[in-house]
Amino acid sequence: MPRSSSTTSAPEELYALAIGTARSVIVVGTAKNAGKTTTFNALRAVAKRRGTAIGVTSIGRDGEPADALDAEPKPRVRLAPGTIVALPAGLIPRSPGLAILATGEPSALGTTVFARVVLPTTCEIAGPPTARAMRATIDTLRALCSGPVLVDGAIDRVAPLAGGDDAVIVATGGASGATVARVAAVAADTVARLTLPGRDPRHERERVVRISGALDARDAEALLADAAGATVVVDDPTRIAVRGALFAKLRATVDLRCERPLRVVACTTSPVGRDASLAPRALVDAVARATGLPTFDVVADLRSESGAA
Amino acid sequence: MKIDAVTAERIGLDWLRAAIAPVGTFGRRHDEGIAPYGPGDDARAHAEIADVVALAARLDASEVGRVRAALRAVPEPSPIVARTRVGDPLGDVDFYELGRFVDALDLLARGWDAAVREPSPGKERDDRRPPVLDGLRAVLAPGRERGGFYLADAFGPGLRAARAALAGAEASFDAQREAIAARVRDAFGVDPIGEEFVVLRSVYDGPLPDDVRAVRETPTYRVLRLAVVVPERDAAFAALAEEEERARRMLAETVAREAEAVAEATRALGALDRLLARIAFTQRWGGCVPRFDAGAAAFTEATFAPLADALAARGHRYTPISLELRGVAVLTGPNMGGKSAALATAGFVCACVALGVPPPAHAASLPLLEAIVWLGGDGPAERARLLSSYAAEIVRAQAALSSASARTLVVIDEFARTTGPREGRALLIAFAEALRARGVFALLATHFDAIAETAGVAHLRIAGLRQHALGPIDGDDLDAALDAINAAMDYRVVAAHGGTSESDALALARLLGLESSIVDRARSLYEEPAKP
Repeated sequence: MPRSSSTTSAPEELYALAIGTARSVIVVGTAKNAGKTTTFNALRAVAKRRGTAIGVTSIGRDGEPADALDAEPKPRVRLAPGTIVALPAGLIPRSPGLAILATGEPSALGTTVFARVVLPTTCEIAGPPTARAMRATIDTLRALCSGPVLVDGAIDRVAPLAGGDDAVIVATGGASGATVARVAAVAADTVARLTLPGRDPRHERERVVRISGALDARDAEALLADAAGATVVVDDPTRIAVRGALFAKLRATVDLRCERPLRVVACTTSPVGRDASLAPRALVDAVARATGLPTFDVVADLRSESGAA
Repeated sequence: MKIDAVTAERIGLDWLRAAIAPVGTFGRRHDEGIAPYGPGDDARAHAEIADVVALAARLDASEVGRVRAALRAVPEPSPIVARTRVGDPLGDVDFYELGRFVDALDLLARGWDAAVREPSPGKERDDRRPPVLDGLRAVLAPGRERGGFYLADAFGPGLRAARAALAGAEASFDAQREAIAARVRDAFGVDPIGEEFVVLRSVYDGPLPDDVRAVRETPTYRVLRLAVVVPERDAAFAALAEEEERARRMLAETVAREAEAVAEATRALGALDRLLARIAFTQRWGGCVPRFDAGAAAFTEATFAPLADALAARGHRYTPISLELRGVAVLTGPNMGGKSAALATAGFVCACVALGVPPPAHAASLPLLEAIVWLGGDGPAERARLLSSYAAEIVRAQAALSSASARTLVVIDEFARTTGPREGRALLIAFAEALRARGVFALLATHFDAIAETAGVAHLRIAGLRQHALGPIDGDDLDAALDAINAAMDYRVVAAHGGTSESDALALARLLGLESSIVDRARSLYEEPAKP
């Protein structure tokens, strides 16, 4: 596989793009094994090369040797000295010892502990279980760490994104579909939901429907029946609980908006699927075209050459 | 002190318990071990209440609030210290939590100093001041920095060398890994980020170099790992792990020697939490040091705080109540005149002293009771038994009688109002006589006539509506009507000497907006001479 002719690697370009946008970066995935942790680790590796101290945590549980659900091997999380990590007390490595800075939200594995890595260590990372606690954890990491905060996300746990000003990276790949077109379509659906535009009073329709809480399939069907052409407002994009064709139809029928938009800055692709692999270059470009976002393959060192990249 | 659920709700005991609840775990644990004061506890109750009243005057109220907030945040060291006593290994988070405990005590002590407006009279040392743990602070000091904790080199003689060895091995590891990574980049065109990386078979499917291992193989790709071999790294890691565990054991043993000081500090915090809750209550509602008197329940200018609190939330003013009860008394007076509030206040102030809380009154002379019973209406237990209101009242009345003693206060709100008035009145008289015979404290509010005289007990009445004080009222404005009634009502409890009890029911009905024709008709019926 030829290396990019660019002097800056794909991970470095992605890092600069994300960190240039926000103090904290959350990587979310379109499917399990979509490459979230690979992207997360690529960003950490760039920070390490740059000598930048970062804060890290995970919305799910990451860094364990094998996946808890399917026993597939998982990327390990090796933390460099100076890193500030948020993890449950039950996952703190005994040795080398960490410098304990603060404690925070409770979780099933013990109180969330904020610690500074003194000597290199490899560990599992997990965050607290609720979106509110996760947000508090990210905020504490931002307060404790002078550098950027990187958060390894989880599939379908986008609620912690709400209320933050993080840069969001959507990881997608062969785990989402068997063809390039299918993966690109799934990514486009996810990105369309997460990039829901904010309210714009200048262009609001005559009728405005405010949805408090989640907008689910039942709400969507009611809106399609009764609110065609209206502006429909949700709190934030994480409240959209409809997917695929129903979501696309809803967007085409109503002016769907949110109070607090998210900042989705890029996609990453992983060509590796469970049973087949996709063409990396084709996948990067297809996802970029479908989502309109800069798209990177941090393993194959590729970035999109079309779309918004 | 025995108080059932109905009584607790009616006399505001539930509200009181919530108002004086400790804010922290130490206080809650401390309170669980303290029973309410009862007969014979006069000296102890007096000492606690006098202490609270004195401190409420000495301490700044806003600083008391801050100290209580700090108490809420004090971490619990007891489980950690208990583990040191049995030799359990501690982790760095445990040492961190102990450090936080030491810091929290320092913060509390500073908060206390800020709260004290004047030094304790006649005492060289303020024994209420929160404890500080200088010994534990010194033990943990090498690892404390900006409120955190690190198992510093000073905690173990071999730590510094072990860490230096591992740091060197890690540097070798990184250098070797980077060398292999460079070869992988050249050979596969892939930047091996992290410990594992993916190579598609379409890109490279040949034999792997010696220092690259396959972690997982599929028909289309391989997950590979750089096989960085630095034997001294594993050895250095093992040596450091051993040194760190040794240091933690030594530190835990030192902490164990501070266990009694920690336990004493948590006990002191529990007592402080209880004390501050009572001080805050007193600073909010006022309070007096009562005289303990087995023969009288008397108070002047007492505030039934739960009602005053509710009224204040609605922008209304509460009128304090004065009352003297010796034995049994009947309380009569107008509707809306505060009879029920007077009954509740009697129970409330007695409950306050039982809990070591200064009764919110100008002065009080009270007994320490064995039980308080409220009769009138039914509660959840009676409703669950599907009893009628009358049946529930009778069942509760008999239960109260059966257990009544000279240290029981029975407060009775319109007993037998749900049955025929003649039989109800007769029952109330007989019940009052029975209470008098048992020597209990009892206050019976009723609209029945001549109960006190017939039963041979004292008669008190609410002074009632000052008709002349009533201004014009818009009949449609209920709030204005209530305000006018409140302003015109004389809530004083005064001694009565026979006569019928006026309820001001017709005047109040008119004020509350009942159609004039109905009130006029009722007035004419009421004023008709009784038919022979």
